[in-house]
Amino acid sequence: MRASADGAVPFLSFQGIPLTGSAAGTFALEVLPHESVVVVGDENSGVDSLSAIALGLEPAVIGTALVFGTDITTLSRVDQLAFRRRLGYLPAGDGLLSNLSLRDNIRLPLRFGSNFKPDEIEGRVEVILALLRLTRAAQERPAQANEEQRRRAALGRALAFDPELVLLEQPFVGLTDRVSAEILEIARGGELGNGGRRTVFITGQDIPMLLRNRVERVVAIADSRRMPVRL
Amino acid sequence: MSDPIAGIGRSTARWLTRVGGLARFAFNAVRAIPSLPGAGRRVAGRLLLNQIRFTALEAVGLVVLLSGIFSFLVISMAVRELGKVGAFDLIGRLIVIVIVRELGPILTALAVVGRSGTAITAELATNTVLKEVRALEGMGIDPYHYLVLPRLFGCIVSVTILIVLFDTVSLIAGYLAAGAEGMSGGRYLGVVLASLTTSDVAVTFGKGILFGAVIGLWPSFHGLAVKRGPTEIPQAVIRSTVGSIVMIFVVSALFVLVQ
Repeated sequence: MRASADGAVPFLSFQGIPLTGSAAGTFALEVLPHESVVVVGDENSGVDSLSAIALGLEPAVIGTALVFGTDITTLSRVDQLAFRRRLGYLPAGDGLLSNLSLRDNIRLPLRFGSNFKPDEIEGRVEVILALLRLTRAAQERPAQANEEQRRRAALGRALAFDPELVLLEQPFVGLTDRVSAEILEIARGGELGNGGRRTVFITGQDIPMLLRNRVERVVAIADSRRMPVRL
Repeated sequence: MSDPIAGIGRSTARWLTRVGGLARFAFNAVRAIPSLPGAGRRVAGRLLLNQIRFTALEAVGLVVLLSGIFSFLVISMAVRELGKVGAFDLIGRLIVIVIVRELGPILTALAVVGRSGTAITAELATNTVLKEVRALEGMGIDPYHYLVLPRLFGCIVSVTILIVLFDTVSLIAGYLAAGAEGMSGGRYLGVVLASLTTSDVAVTFGKGILFGAVIGLWPSFHGLAVKRGPTEIPQAVIRSTVGSIVMIFVVSALFVLVQ
């Protein structure tokens, strides 16, 4: 297992994951604290299932995926749910609840999974809405909002608990380079006390050229073998 | 020769698989109750009230109409025909058994299946297809807590309330029907109340709870079982509606058997 210079355990680690349609090899990757890592691959490569495997939403028949050194699938169901609340997850297609406003979508994880007082929740939601420039569209339902607003709301929901690790599936699809850069910056967050930033793991079929210089690593999947494009 | 037998075997196996899946689903739903987090209880409570509003409150007009017309027709005929042979005293028992205990709960449950069961399946299937259920799991919210339990308990409360409403309206409609057929209101109330026992009331409430559980669980099960895409949603609605209706009659038959 790779470790950072200060000996930190990887926040996210994949070992021997066979990706769909690629019997040739298996996938292995470690994401260290404060890193932003992008894994790109075509639609059939199976990269889109990596976040779901890490979160225990999809079973990894072979291989392991560890988050903060823990295999989520070995936990009880209650512990799995509690563990996932420590992470931020933006699924492909946003996954916003269509019968809730964008504001309520961001508010939901806080209302359901935290013991914050209502005014604390409202305060946090207002900050997230302002950060994502969603205040004016906050009352709209996902069907009434445009793709950019929906993506911003889904990111806001993922950041509701201010997690240390964020997993984003296809976060830049349909967005301009400028908005994609903004999404990435917000996901990474500001500098922490130790000078690092939030750990971000992104999967998708491509990454805008503009963003390749803004992340630590871009890993391309071909025949399921890890091929670092740029380190 | 073996094809029809194999066909029967296949459909029986499919049906048993579905019933087994439903049993596991019901077990998981009940098992999820204690793990509902404190904060989640407030959200689930609000969803429960919403479900009761959709299922019970918005169905009041339909149930009053169904009960009023059905009961007026049945009781006026019963009074007319039994009156010819002077068997007015049997009217009370007839009304209690046929309407209050048997047909009232069944007709109410069928109305709720048509209104809310279909809506639950379609809504949950859409949630599944749009990956909203997966997103819920991803953010640490159990879909049983957020989607299933409010609907299950909402249906149990709503169906029970609506059955009581159906029976109340049927007794009032019966009063009017009996009056129209020349039977005095006092005599009508007398024979009906004399026939009504605590066991009839208990059976009515028992059916409300069980029919409500069927309507809360079966459509939720089919809605969340959708896998492939939007084209599967109408099939899920059909399967859930047919299954719910069959289950309601089966439960009703079980009540008759155990009495």
